[in-house]
Amino acid sequence: MDAAAEQKYNFAVVRWFTVMAVVYLVVGALVGVYIAAELAWPFLNFDLPYITFGRLRPLHTNAVIFAFGGCALMATSFYSVQRTCGVRLWSDKLAWFTFWGWNLIIVSAVITLPLGITTAKEYAELEWPIDLAIAVVWLVYSFNFIMTLATRKTSHIYVSNWFFLGMMVMITYLHVVNSLAVPVDLFKSYSAFSGVQDAMIQWWYGHNAVGFYLTAGFLGIMYYFVPKQAGRPVYSYRLSVVHFWALMFGYVWLGSHHLQYTALPDWAGSLGAAVSLAMIIPSWGGAVNGMMTLSGAWDKLRTDYILRFMIMSLAFYAMSTFEGPVMSLKTVNALSHYTDWTVGHVHSGALGWVAMVAIGAIYHLMMRTFHTEMWSMKLINAHFWTATIGAVIYIVAMWVSGIMQGLMWRAYDEYGTLAYTFAESVEAMHPYYAMRTVGGAIFLLGALMMLINVLMTVAKASSEGSLQQARTAAATA
Amino acid sequence: MTTSDWVGLIMTVVTFLLMIGVYFYALRPKNRDKLEKNRFIPMDDDAIDSGEKNGG
Repeated sequence: MDAAAEQKYNFAVVRWFTVMAVVYLVVGALVGVYIAAELAWPFLNFDLPYITFGRLRPLHTNAVIFAFGGCALMATSFYSVQRTCGVRLWSDKLAWFTFWGWNLIIVSAVITLPLGITTAKEYAELEWPIDLAIAVVWLVYSFNFIMTLATRKTSHIYVSNWFFLGMMVMITYLHVVNSLAVPVDLFKSYSAFSGVQDAMIQWWYGHNAVGFYLTAGFLGIMYYFVPKQAGRPVYSYRLSVVHFWALMFGYVWLGSHHLQYTALPDWAGSLGAAVSLAMIIPSWGGAVNGMMTLSGAWDKLRTDYILRFMIMSLAFYAMSTFEGPVMSLKTVNALSHYTDWTVGHVHSGALGWVAMVAIGAIYHLMMRTFHTEMWSMKLINAHFWTATIGAVIYIVAMWVSGIMQGLMWRAYDEYGTLAYTFAESVEAMHPYYAMRTVGGAIFLLGALMMLINVLMTVAKASSEGSLQQARTAAATA
Repeated sequence: MTTSDWVGLIMTVVTFLLMIGVYFYALRPKNRDKLEKNRFIPMDDDAIDSGEKNGG
């Protein structure tokens, strides 16, 4: 069975994307922990401009979102589209072009961002030549995926592929429009938009990057890998169809909730908040659909550590998709905006949902594509607990810090004078910034365990000859 | 209202109505079996690869 699949499909590119995703998870988390420590103990800047928070923060976000997240999405989408369509990738050459192109873009980000070469657009910091490269590689990736769907042997396109496809179409649109710029030299450009229009385009992009890349893409992972790992079909296919279309229609409206109490017209922010609230329904429908896939087989969670990652990710998905709409309400936003509460919310989605569902899928892929068991199952269990505890410590620290910040900033005495200076609020944050660093370090420890486990599994597959056997058996079958 | 306002409004309303149409289609009891049989696609892929089951 493994041998037949090994010969029929292109698993080689999946293996490379899978291993690189784990490498980038460690790198991204490491940079994240370092900049968290810089905020708690600023001397860690060492007066070097290349490692200041302002330069390393975009490196952290690019590493975890586009390097780790991108490689995880490309590995899982290339794997699941082949399996659910019963055909090999349409083009092996384009698949390898996607792999090398994407990794070169990551290398260029690692070089340019610490040098201070940036557009200063959040989550789209890379300068225009790299933006062009991203567009080319992303279109090649999408084209290969679409052509694989077009040549499928099955009559129906499984729902996980819909989510991946929705992501590809929308990210192309978002990336191209948000990156429109006037270049002045090779390393500097200025946005084609200005003023409040620039802000609205930025957050239309920013929130939809969350909605279509970090949500729709990873829901594609969920709809294929949770049923596969659980050995049970998804709870309701009809619910998954409703989930998909509601997500596609709803998410595009939400970006304006990032601009409450700004120059953006009031009605636009309120509309964003109203649709944000409505989005709780499909989001929770999807989370319940994933969790209920285990209906009648909950005992699997006792022994299947990979499944634990996936189900815990759905709990975080449900939590953060409730928290987000609440924070978009103008009353709550007046307290939460510009505070660490937003950072906590983002990380409950990033560490809890995105990373955990991807980690579960990566462990699944490792065993399926290297045709062997993981080197250590106990280490996966240890990883699960370090990831969960680390994420919870991080999120709780930022909740407390953020709410305290918001309350201190708006507190005033009986004369109408601000009760606290900004510096006093910064001082009050110190214990929570230290606590956040500890939470992040625990999460990083888990990522390191994963990297060791993955590399040892590669070595194990090599020494056992399991991969070679699958290739040879397939060739002679 | 400008032309682009009208285009945006019409596109939004049409997309919204299409979404409602999809909900109606997906949740209609008559379509239940037709849609729910697709749940098993990931479960069947190993069998399809080994030739035990026919894809499609």
